[in-house]
Parts: sequence; C-alpha cells; structure tokens
Amino acid sequence: MNTAPTLAHPALAMLARENQLREGTAPRELGGVTVEPGRHWLHEDCFLLHTSSGLRFFYRKGEGVIIERPAGPSDPAEEYLWCNGSIYAAIACINGLYPIHASAVACNGQVFAFTGPSGAGKSTLVAQLTRHALPMFCDDTLVLDLSQPGQVLCLPGHKRLKLWPDAVELTGARPAEQVMASVPKFYSEPAGGTVVDVLPLAELCFLEDGDHARIEPLHGGEKMVRLQDDHYTTDMIMAASRPDRIARFAQLANLARTIRLTRFVRPRDASRFAVDAGLVERHVKAMAGQVSEQSR
Amino acid sequence: MTGILIKRPERFVETDIDDEVVVMDLDSGNFFSLKDTALEIWRLVDGSRTSADIVAEIAAAYDLTESELAADIAAFLDQAQAAGLLEAQ
Repeated sequence: MNTAPTLAHPALAMLARENQLREGTAPRELGGVTVEPGRHWLHEDCFLLHTSSGLRFFYRKGEGVIIERPAGPSDPAEEYLWCNGSIYAAIACINGLYPIHASAVACNGQVFAFTGPSGAGKSTLVAQLTRHALPMFCDDTLVLDLSQPGQVLCLPGHKRLKLWPDAVELTGARPAEQVMASVPKFYSEPAGGTVVDVLPLAELCFLEDGDHARIEPLHGGEKMVRLQDDHYTTDMIMAASRPDRIARFAQLANLARTIRLTRFVRPRDASRFAVDAGLVERHVKAMAGQVSEQSR
Repeated sequence: MTGILIKRPERFVETDIDDEVVVMDLDSGNFFSLKDTALEIWRLVDGSRTSADIVAEIAAAYDLTESELAADIAAFLDQAQAAGLLEAQ
C-alpha cells in the first residue's frame, strides 16, 4: 500500500523544493552553448532542456524549475515525464546526489536494484517481484546518497511504474492510463505496492541476456568497470560534479567496496520469465535474510 | 628489460577491491585489474628488484624453474612499461 513520504531525509525535502515548477522565460543558451530542440545542457549549477516538442525547462540551484511552453496546447503527460526524468536527475546531480539507471525492490529494510540499458527488463522484473512480497522501491531511476562513509542510501522512487503492454500481461500488473499518446507504455500499479522510506542499498544487479538463468557475483576490477557504465546518468554526474580522474576513481572504488554487485543472466524467453524471476526472488530474500542476521 | 624496476606513481592510481588491485592509467583512464601472479609481480616492483630478481622470487615461491616463468613475467612487465606504469633504471 502506498503511503505519503515522510520527508525525513533532508535530500527528500530538498528534491521536493527544487523540483517546484513555475512558468516563465527560459534562456536560449547556457554556459555559451545554445541548446537546440531535443538537447539538454548542464553547466555549473544550472540545467537547460529544450524538447523536440518545443518545451523549455531551466533549473538553477536554489530557484526551482522554470517551464516555458510553446504556443498552442500543452501536454501535461509529457511535462510530467520530463520533470520526473531528465530534470529530476539533473537536479539530483547538481545537488550532490548520485542517480543511476535502475529499478528496485525493497526487502527487510534494504534495497535490491536492477540495472541495464533501456529494454533490459528492469521494470518488468521489478513488477514481477512485487507479486512475491517484494514491494517496489523505484522504477527507472534510483537516486543514491553517497555522503555517509561506508553506506549507500537510496531515496525512494519518485516515478510511477511504466510497462509495455506485454510486460503488463506477463507480470499481472494493474494497468492505468497510457504514458502519452506517442509512448505506448502504460502506467501500472505494482501488485505488491511501493516503499517510501530511505533505505540502504544492499545489492546492484546487472541484467544480461544469456543461455540459462543464473546469478553471479562480480569481483574486483569488473565492479569498477561496470559501475562506470551506468547509462544515461553518467554524463550528468560528471558534468555536475566535474571530478578529475582521481576523484572519479575514488568514487567508483568506494561504491565497489560498499555495494554487493551481481549479474542476473537469463534467456529473454517469455515462457521462462516467471521461473527465472523466481530465481531472483529467492536470491533477494536469502541475501536480505543473511544481511539481517549479520546485523543483529 | 634490465635494470631496477620502479613504478611511476605520477602516472596511475591504484586501489584494492576484493582480492584484486585495480590500477587506472591517469592519461588514458584505462583500468588494469591485477590478481594472482600478476598482483604478486606488481607488488615486487618496489624499486629494489630487477626483472630477473622477480622471476627468481616467483619461481622459488611456486617451486618452478625460472625458465618456465621468464617469458610470462617479461610479457607482463613489458605491458606495464608500455602503459607507462613502470620503468627500468
């Protein structure tokens, strides 16, 4: 069951404040760069987005988000997508948080996240896991707080679960409205509900295609390499914090030491989906129980 | 490769992850993951040993002949030198 977030973590209050939207005029360029339709630019503590449909969004740290709509009818569904996608990630980066491209479930007060490129099956797997007493923690973007040494905290998801029609059917999720006319995905209610607490990250699992289902731990250098490859948010993180190579190396090493990393390899075969997802379900519950025992 | 081998710490950063040492070349950003024998060789490059000294130490540790190891160790050291991570003086 969904409950209202308590905003107990200061970053949640910050994100709520910084994401406030107001109408106005957005600049045409940022840091000397003209932002063409379909492009965005992050410079120092500002972010400028110009969508292909003509919307412009401008964020400056501490001032919230300006939206400039083109003449004619606007599409609130599209605005929602941008505000909860690129803009949210940019605001998180500019304010020292670390968003990654992942969907996640919660178990025993810990977060188990699944990452991979678009189409890797993150949302579908999470939707399936929620049917087995593993509530959803987030979909598509997982915002991490790395400010506590030795601990990676996860901020609860801000996006609604989005599924393709075949994933709705496969997972038994309850479909709601279509995301937008040009995006044939459906917002869906995860069968097992959602969690809205700030929780530590227990494991980050990379989704991969392969000939048979298995979960394997990652070790050493492979962890560092895989953490570098976190898809669309890496460029924003680098642009916002501008770490030199040494600082970035230290950041990746800290993450690699703190989080358990695994890969879930499986064939992309709908007839095997429920069985293979069951492997993940048992893994998550076993690992969550193990960590819980150790912390007693 | 002859002469005393020394690392070039201005050219890289390294860190322990699990049972490996991960080295990043600061010029290229490339990662090198060292484990097992490669890690032992890397640790023996301490400014006091030649390539021959390292071959002798590894051979003694594993009860192998130096001729069995020399080519592999030379190949690793050549690769590390080519990457600018060490040099012979």
